[in-house]
Amino acid sequence: MKLYEYSAYELSEMLRAKKISSRELTESVLCRAEEVDGKVNAYIYTDREMSLKMADRADHLIASGKAASRLAGIPVGIKDNISTKGIPTTCASKMLENYVPVFNATVMDKLADAGCVISGKLNMDEFAMGSSTENSYFKTTRNPFDNDCVPGGSSGGSAAAVACGEAVIALGSDTGGSIRQPASLCGVVGLKPTYGSVSRYGLVAFASSLDQIGVFGRCVRDAALLQDEIQGHDSMDATSAHRSYPSLYDGLNDDISGLKIGIPSEYYERGVKPGVTEAVMRSVKELEKRGAKVIPISLPSTKYALSAYYIIACAEASSNLARFDGVKYGYRAKDCDGLIDMYERTRSEGFGREVKRRIMLGTFVLSSGYFDAYYKKAKLLQKRIQQEFDDAFNSVDVIVTPTSPSEAFKIGERVLDPLAMYAADICTVTVNIAGLPAVSVPCGYSESGLPYGMQIIGRKFDEQTILNAALAHECSFGGFRKPAI
Amino acid sequence: MDIDIRHIAKLSRLRISDDELAGYEKEMSDIIAMVEAMPDIEDELTVDPDNAMTLRSDETVSEKIPRDEILKNAPKVVAGCVVVPKTVE
Amino acid sequence: MMIKGYEVVVGLEVHAELNTKTKIYCSCRNSFGLEVNTQVCPICLGMPGTLPTLNEKVVEYAIKMGHALNCKINRICKQDRKNYFYPDLPKSYQISQADIPLCADGYLDVIMDGGEVKRIGVERIHIEEDAGKLLHSDKFDGSLVDFNRCGVPLIEIVSRPDMRGSDEAKAYLETIRSILKYIDISDCKMQEGSIRCDVNVSVHKPGEPFGTRCEMKNVNSFSAAVRGIDYEANRQIEILESGGTVVQETRRWDDQKGISVSMRTKEDAQDYRYFPEPDLLTIVVPHEKVDELKRTLPELPNAKIMRYVRDYGLSHYDAAMIVDVVEKSAFFEKCIEAGCNAPKLLSNWILGEISKFMNDGTAIEETKLTPEKMSELIGLIDSGKISTAAGKTVFDIIVKEDADIQKIIEEKGLAQVSDDSALEAIADDVLKANEKSVSDYLNGKTNALGYLVGQCMKASKGRANPGKMKEIILSKING
Repeated sequence: MKLYEYSAYELSEMLRAKKISSRELTESVLCRAEEVDGKVNAYIYTDREMSLKMADRADHLIASGKAASRLAGIPVGIKDNISTKGIPTTCASKMLENYVPVFNATVMDKLADAGCVISGKLNMDEFAMGSSTENSYFKTTRNPFDNDCVPGGSSGGSAAAVACGEAVIALGSDTGGSIRQPASLCGVVGLKPTYGSVSRYGLVAFASSLDQIGVFGRCVRDAALLQDEIQGHDSMDATSAHRSYPSLYDGLNDDISGLKIGIPSEYYERGVKPGVTEAVMRSVKELEKRGAKVIPISLPSTKYALSAYYIIACAEASSNLARFDGVKYGYRAKDCDGLIDMYERTRSEGFGREVKRRIMLGTFVLSSGYFDAYYKKAKLLQKRIQQEFDDAFNSVDVIVTPTSPSEAFKIGERVLDPLAMYAADICTVTVNIAGLPAVSVPCGYSESGLPYGMQIIGRKFDEQTILNAALAHECSFGGFRKPAI
Repeated sequence: MDIDIRHIAKLSRLRISDDELAGYEKEMSDIIAMVEAMPDIEDELTVDPDNAMTLRSDETVSEKIPRDEILKNAPKVVAGCVVVPKTVE
Repeated sequence: MMIKGYEVVVGLEVHAELNTKTKIYCSCRNSFGLEVNTQVCPICLGMPGTLPTLNEKVVEYAIKMGHALNCKINRICKQDRKNYFYPDLPKSYQISQADIPLCADGYLDVIMDGGEVKRIGVERIHIEEDAGKLLHSDKFDGSLVDFNRCGVPLIEIVSRPDMRGSDEAKAYLETIRSILKYIDISDCKMQEGSIRCDVNVSVHKPGEPFGTRCEMKNVNSFSAAVRGIDYEANRQIEILESGGTVVQETRRWDDQKGISVSMRTKEDAQDYRYFPEPDLLTIVVPHEKVDELKRTLPELPNAKIMRYVRDYGLSHYDAAMIVDVVEKSAFFEKCIEAGCNAPKLLSNWILGEISKFMNDGTAIEETKLTPEKMSELIGLIDSGKISTAAGKTVFDIIVKEDADIQKIIEEKGLAQVSDDSALEAIADDVLKANEKSVSDYLNGKTNALGYLVGQCMKASKGRANPGKMKEIILSKING
């Protein structure tokens, strides 16, 4: 077994026992990336020298016994919408093609303090808008299980890199499913934590009230390890939650006897492929065998969630992305004839089609005369959806649904049909709207060998319970299955 | 419903070419048709006192990024200032 | 104020920069006049991924102003984004407050020149961030952006359309400025743009409904506000008199040319697409804090003026002059505390000699003058121990050095001579040398008396008590 194939928690032990060095491990991961990234297109940016320098620093830290973190020396891939000081952060957009931040996101400071190695910046849909990573200005990432299929999105680069060993673990961001859906399509574990549990400072905003940084790993333990490192209150983010954040990794326990699992009928209806439903139900049965209790529940407003989601997300995006105007940073159109010409051409040339569409949709729903009909209505629906979850969690501990209504689809298949593309988020957006934590775990494979994912949703700040359920499932289902790339 | 794409584009500071227009109109109308299925809710948006934030204390921080560094991503800089096309309101 | 049979209606939006240590949403220093783009950080430059954190002092200062203007405090409120593109606005939205301002529904009583009190309604006070500055040069093809002012905290105070002319607007603005200084939340330096206003003007015939209003921007001084209101009212009246209708629009005041020009009409009004700021949560100010801010509010200028008139017998004009400058009124009160019991004389000295050096840019505390010494000096003058002229000599010394007043008087021989025998000797000498004046006086030329007293004063080198001197001369002439 090559070093890049090990799990982070195993590598952590090996590093601490000085059986391997971070340099060896980093070399292994970078070599793997060189070997397969021509096919997968997961990375936008790598810098071998930079990564190895970090690895040497980590080795030094470990050797001197000063490495407090379990992640010291472990290479982590970073989604390219997370601000990295001195390292390009493009959001996969022409707009930020040459942008090099002068500051670190809080999560990057935390990883640096832990002694992590950055393996590179990962591809995504432009400004995290999309469900296939086809909206990247630079390249389309491919699904490691089938190179003709999408890896999902928007954190498609993160999911694909972890799946094929180009990264041990990775950071992503999730606004409507952008961690869980690609995790599902690439057969890895993806955790979208509770809103407020990970600082958003330095995450380039798509929809501020829904965005959340989260993690990818090939197993539940790895996801827990990385989440341990990045969670916690941050005074730089006013929406960050004041509370204690005990170690999830230390709290992992696969004993789920007595766990009450809610199955909401609405998530198994319209458009969910039978194969997906069967795989999820099979896994739920296994959990039942381990002592869990299954309770049918109803979340009736689910059918409106996608609408509410697109209104809120696009409204916020139209404002968040207004700062890309060619004045202070990023792309500026050439030979401008006055200010308005500079604004319009900069933004029309710098943004891709999906981003422009969402900006316009957001502008429209906030514009004079339409606010009440769209934005206000969506916010009221959000409240109702939150209430329905609150009520459900009075009788169950976790809610289990499919992550995505189907396995990975073909590249190009949905590009011209935004509504078909948006449908990929149908099972995941409610979680962002309600600010809840959810994890996606692989739970089966299609006939053609493409992964299916199961989503486990928990109460606010109850990551431990969903990770424990995920771990129990992992024990029954078996671990990560390697793609044949 | 009809959306005045040109007006919305102007508000968004985007320029939509004639051949893009029909495509955007169609897609936006489809999306708007979907969201119009949302039910009416008789209620008002309220401010949630339980969702309070902690305010920052009024203290300066010592760490400062030099001007050259902080403006290094700007497309055009002259005399320590960012340059834009002539703008007088 | 009526012009050509029309009533003029004015509403004002005052923007005041708060003098907090740091900016409203980041920890950058809040200071004016430093080198371009040196007081900026990724947050106030709106760099991708940055987030705002609200400065607690901004909330406190705004609540103080709310109390001073008798407002209801919305201790649970939020912030909203106001979206528009402009190069001096890095995020392309301004974080402000829309439907729930921090303070609302207050009023301000202003004292007009004649002494009558006029109550002006205050619709709201909200907090928001300032934008940067565009710099232009004829020599340069383009505009330069300085972001230093981005994120400087502002309060916007919106009045109701309760003013009836530029005189009331001026009184309102001056009272607002005075309050801002007394509660020490703004430097109020007009020339530095730390207080600015937008003016709304309409005209109508008495008894008829309000006319269509025009908003005027770019009013950068109180005198410009007066000129702008008068100009705008006359412009509207002329339109109506010639049978036209006033169009609702935003106009720009050009103070140099003394005219307003149309910027945009209602039709192309900007669509700011306000919505709640998702990067900030609810502002919740505890009841106790709101109460404490009210309790610790200092005495406000209007109350002070009235107290000075009532308790110290100052004229309304003098009281207003002293109160207008926080430092003067503080010094006045410290002198009273130090035992000065001639407040009117004290007020004359503050508005005279002390104002003289303050106008030259010297603060009282930069001099050696203390309330104790000033009180002692006023006491000596008031009781006739030294003359006003001698007092000026002493004053000039105690401003410059930490000296003992009694010693100065002794050393310089400044004590007034009130001793009868000494004064009589002086009078005898003067009368002998000026027999012509004596006979003039006796022939009815009464002003000859002043001359004689003056000669005595001169002979005494200013030390004679002028009152007593006069008495003695009169008694000697009249025999």
